[in-house]
Amino acid sequence: MAERITDIGPPHFEKFLPPVIKENYGKWKYHEIPEPGVLRHVAENGAEIYSVRVASPRIMSTLQARDLCDIADKYCSGYLRFTSRHNFEFLVSDKSKLEPLKAELAKRGIPKGGTGHSITNIVHTQGWIHCHTPAIDASGVVKSVMDDLFGYFGSHKLPAQLRISLACCLNMCGAVHCSDIAILGIHRTPPKVNHERLRHLCEIPTTIAACPTGAIRPHPDKSIKSVVVNEERCMYCGNCYTMCPALPVFDSVKGGVALLVGGKVSNAKTPPMFSRLAVPYLPNNPPRWPEVVQAVRKIVTKYAEGANKWERVGEWVTRIGWEKFFEVCEIPFTFQHIDDYRWAYDTYRTSMHFKF
Amino acid sequence: MATVEFKGKTFTVDEDGFLENLDQWNTEWVDYVKDSEGIAELNDEHWKVINMLQDYYKKNGIAPMVRILSKVTGFKLKHIYELFPSGPGKGACKMAGLAKPTGCV
Ligand code: SF4
Ligand code: SF4
Repeated sequence: MAERITDIGPPHFEKFLPPVIKENYGKWKYHEIPEPGVLRHVAENGAEIYSVRVASPRIMSTLQARDLCDIADKYCSGYLRFTSRHNFEFLVSDKSKLEPLKAELAKRGIPKGGTGHSITNIVHTQGWIHCHTPAIDASGVVKSVMDDLFGYFGSHKLPAQLRISLACCLNMCGAVHCSDIAILGIHRTPPKVNHERLRHLCEIPTTIAACPTGAIRPHPDKSIKSVVVNEERCMYCGNCYTMCPALPVFDSVKGGVALLVGGKVSNAKTPPMFSRLAVPYLPNNPPRWPEVVQAVRKIVTKYAEGANKWERVGEWVTRIGWEKFFEVCEIPFTFQHIDDYRWAYDTYRTSMHFKF
Repeated sequence: MATVEFKGKTFTVDEDGFLENLDQWNTEWVDYVKDSEGIAELNDEHWKVINMLQDYYKKNGIAPMVRILSKVTGFKLKHIYELFPSGPGKGACKMAGLAKPTGCV
């Protein structure tokens, strides 16, 4: 414990602000987006700063980070930031450096974009790189989907912002529950119980309480300190495995991807919405997840064709109705789409209004 | 899974140094763990925490919530950290021979 330093918190952000931002903090007049990936903020006194937003894979090596620092040193007096969707922004105070910076980025193949009505970076999770509960990978799927939708990153051709997020299990780390399109890892098999090790590794009451459907019971044989899973009640959420390492649920063949659509967090025009199930299952197909890529593209394309300007995916679906959404996106409607969890009643249609 | 020999006793431990087989717990285990947990000498207060954790685990099958541990022992969280620098989970529960804490720790 000698010489141990604790509770010092993060360094104050002010230390890292470019002088223009520091001087005009809270005194900005307006901003504009002169081109995809470039923002111009103008202060009350006429001072301006350009932010050049570039894509990042989120998981990066120190070498990559240093490269970005070098660029920031060269064109931005060393100032850069990263956004809440893990893009990088070069903060250019000196307008004469803007074009040379853009040229350097183009030369290095670092894509700029992610502003306005685009598909910006995918908020995602650990996947097979680091977590122990995933049903799918994160980085691999994200790379595949962004490759396919790359044209939407550096352009403003969509009706509104389209947020895509990915979570590799139902814990939904990140933003899948509130994104225009969400890619979610799901299991389709119940956990396998390791009776021998369970009592050494797990707190049985915690494990039982972790199950949202009450599918877990103490082992009926009192001499066996373990649990049993009622497979009829299990919906493969994997929560019990999070609590108890003796209940592995991953199955490389049966697990896969569900797609959700229509979530948003902003209060612009309509209140925030949760995303809802669109595609119940697509196979886990590394390394390029073609089925997922294709299904996401289909939704993006149909939305881009059908939505009005400023309409988010959720607002578009609300306007045309879910039956129309399934029809135009050619997604078969199955029993899995019908909510059957606790408060499901509110999601049923209690009206004569529907389209054939 | 690794095996540890200490003062003539054998323990099977996982990669975080928690007991893999809870039946192997004994006072030598506590003695063995204390070094890696940054504890020079065990006093009565350490044992009060360890005993409380074990009693609670035997009775309820789970580790107590931190607030319960504090309330029963009368030690504020700050003091528990003074006793067990790695905290009630990684420090005290490991020494007491409880299962490794799980969930999004
Ligand atoms: S979503 Fe699940 S699997 Fe992915 S990082 Fe979070 S907890 Fe781990
Ligand atoms: S996977 Fe989920 S539903 Fe199935 S037993 Fe475990 S906690 Fe319950």
